[in-house]
Amino acid sequence: MTPRRLADGIGLGLMLWRTQLKMFINQTVRSRKPGRLLAVIAGAVVLLVLWAWEGIVTALALAASHRVSFNIDLPRLFSFGFFAYTGVLIFSSLVFSLNALLLNPDLDLLLSSPRPVESVLAGRMVVQFLRLLLLSLLFTLPALVVLSVAAGNPLILVGFAALYVVYPVFPVVIISLATLFLVRFIPAGRGKEIVTVLSLALALGINLVNFLFNPALRDSALRPRRGAAASLPDLPLASSPWLPSGWAGRSAAGILSGHWLLALEWSLILIAASSVVFAVGAHLSGRLYLAGWINAVPPRRRHAAVIRSHGSVRAIPLLDRVVSSIVIKDWRMRTRDLAQLARFAMPVIFLFVLFGFRSSRLLSSVQSLGNGPVAAMLGLLPSWILLLSLSSALGLTAVSLEGKNIWIYAASPNSVLRLLQAKCWSAALPTVAAVTLVAVMTEAVIRPGWLWAATATALAVVQAAAVTALMVAIGAVFARFDWTDVRRMLHPVAGLLGIIGFFTVIGTSALLMAVALALATAAHLPLATTWLASLTFSAGGAIAAAALALLLSASRLQRLELG
Amino acid sequence: MLSARLLTKRYGALTAVEDLDLEVSAGELFGFLGPNGAGKTTTIKMLAGLLRPTSGTARIAGFDILTEPEQAKARIGYVPDAAALYDKLSAREFLEFSGDLYHVERRLRDRRINALLQLFGLHDRERDFLSGYSRGMRQKVSLAAALLHDPQVLFLDEPTVGLDPQSARQMKDILQDFCQEGKTVFFSTHILEIAERMCTRLAIINHGRLIAIGTLEELRRQVGSDGQSLEQIFLELTGSREDDVGAVLRGLEG
Repeated sequence: MTPRRLADGIGLGLMLWRTQLKMFINQTVRSRKPGRLLAVIAGAVVLLVLWAWEGIVTALALAASHRVSFNIDLPRLFSFGFFAYTGVLIFSSLVFSLNALLLNPDLDLLLSSPRPVESVLAGRMVVQFLRLLLLSLLFTLPALVVLSVAAGNPLILVGFAALYVVYPVFPVVIISLATLFLVRFIPAGRGKEIVTVLSLALALGINLVNFLFNPALRDSALRPRRGAAASLPDLPLASSPWLPSGWAGRSAAGILSGHWLLALEWSLILIAASSVVFAVGAHLSGRLYLAGWINAVPPRRRHAAVIRSHGSVRAIPLLDRVVSSIVIKDWRMRTRDLAQLARFAMPVIFLFVLFGFRSSRLLSSVQSLGNGPVAAMLGLLPSWILLLSLSSALGLTAVSLEGKNIWIYAASPNSVLRLLQAKCWSAALPTVAAVTLVAVMTEAVIRPGWLWAATATALAVVQAAAVTALMVAIGAVFARFDWTDVRRMLHPVAGLLGIIGFFTVIGTSALLMAVALALATAAHLPLATTWLASLTFSAGGAIAAAALALLLSASRLQRLELG
Repeated sequence: MLSARLLTKRYGALTAVEDLDLEVSAGELFGFLGPNGAGKTTTIKMLAGLLRPTSGTARIAGFDILTEPEQAKARIGYVPDAAALYDKLSAREFLEFSGDLYHVERRLRDRRINALLQLFGLHDRERDFLSGYSRGMRQKVSLAAALLHDPQVLFLDEPTVGLDPQSARQMKDILQDFCQEGKTVFFSTHILEIAERMCTRLAIINHGRLIAIGTLEELRRQVGSDGQSLEQIFLELTGSREDDVGAVLRGLEG
């Protein structure tokens, strides 16, 4: 690849980057939509708070390091950090490259411009380097600023920023090349699903690795290390002088400790190798593309997409036909589209990661409370967490799920209230089923006494139905019908209100139960009676809140022009 | 069968449709023509009950679309220009869903679905997801869904876009058969030859205002010249001049 083409690619990458920034600004600051502006301001405030927190923690750690003498092998630590970051880079590059090749509509536009294919593909990679720079700075900028100020050397910040741009070159280029091979084997039209699977694997992988290796989380039921001092993780391979992570780690250590010559040496090795990889990778990518690796994919009939069962689901007993057909249709949409499926499979998986590994310890803690309502209520905690996840994933998006297809319902002779009714069933059925299952399981394991267990489970069931209906109502008020990406189905304000609604319902329940227990103790009232009364008030309140919200959302939807 | 009185739709300062008066009888195949952005889709959406008019009224088969929307919609079949369909449903599943939405009795629904899938040549792919369908096939599914509940009025927004010549011909035959049963078709199109050959009456809308309505002969008389094609009448009434296009294109050269 000639330097001219390479320069053209870098120029194109910078142009694409500017365009993306412009689009971001147009959609946010310049959108003139109060809701979006508010979201931007709220996001900025949250970011500033988190940055301030990171800055303070770094400053405190720095001050502590001056008081206590300890030995840290900086090159080793940084090498390990960069090595771990490589995992993130591999996954994110895979997602980004597949996205760019399979889903982004602008690839054809770019390739039809009078620019060499190599330059276009190189430009895409440059965009990715810049994105990753931004991401790295997002997480580490405050720490770097504090370190630069403490050392009185702004070059620390510049040096790290340079490393952040250059280090991703290796994985990004290699993965981009690999993606071109991979694309050939992805059936036409399945790109979105493959990208979703990879994104999920990335999210789960990061969480699992964090759970298993993070020293702060190491004291878990999975790896009990009684009396063992927390230690930093290590992997000798990461700091090898033959790997980019070793070069970047040594360079970073040099920058931080003020050994600039050493830092420069290792940086130059990294920059030189990365430049070669970038040039060769862009050249090979162009060759592969021109050889028809993507275009050669035959437009085959997708056997996987064919529904083999000939007996279709007829109807759901006791439900009206329109409601039943919407519930079945929604179920099919949610389970056949991987991106949708993930929305209600992920909470369950995360719940398992969160509780599964620690289940024995948690259970023994709750069981130590003995029989009674307190143990029964604590046993509902996993159900409530599951309820929050599922009701917000399914309920808040139930109406928005229709998306551009809303015209089908809008053109049909059915009322808005019936749509909401159907959406409540559609979201509540799986939520109530899952919540009930978890509640029964935990109560069965905890064994707080049959009366307490049965009533607590009944409360969980009612709460699941009511909270889900409440979420459907909130989602309907902020319904989005113009989404193309599943992630954009949920309006941020709806998300916030949903969380507030959930905690109001559950918090009120908890409060009522605490009051019931206190009353029973203080006034010597029968515990079962006060307990049942509090449950009745809790359930009634939740149902009333949901019904009111549904009526409000119906009137809101009626005013909307659907379609 | 279909009437609109002073139908108006405003979006803030923009008037998309203004004081539209229309009367379409049973058995008519009515063509609704106009340049891009003239207000065709907005009109169809108002008549089909998808958009609320800023003012004015519309009645479908005797039912007011604003005050009796459910009764009116039960008698309407609607096919949008780019039909968004549920990608992860098969054609059969989608038609079953449509039938349920319109309260079509289950056995009748299944019988009609079989007939429509056969009619549109979709039966061998009826169990494939709609995401794998071409635009023309999706258009066929959308039309099949609109016909499933046996509507009295069929609204079609650019129905021939994306259809191959055979399918376009087939659609034309279906629509004509539909009208011969005493039902009404109201459709918008850009393809003036189709409108000229198919429609019993035509209306032309420009800048949201109805500028002409009648049979082809009546439109010819309106512009004061015999033997003109619909294209010439359309260009004359909407004020699009070919000379201007040529001048602009020549200006782009060199």
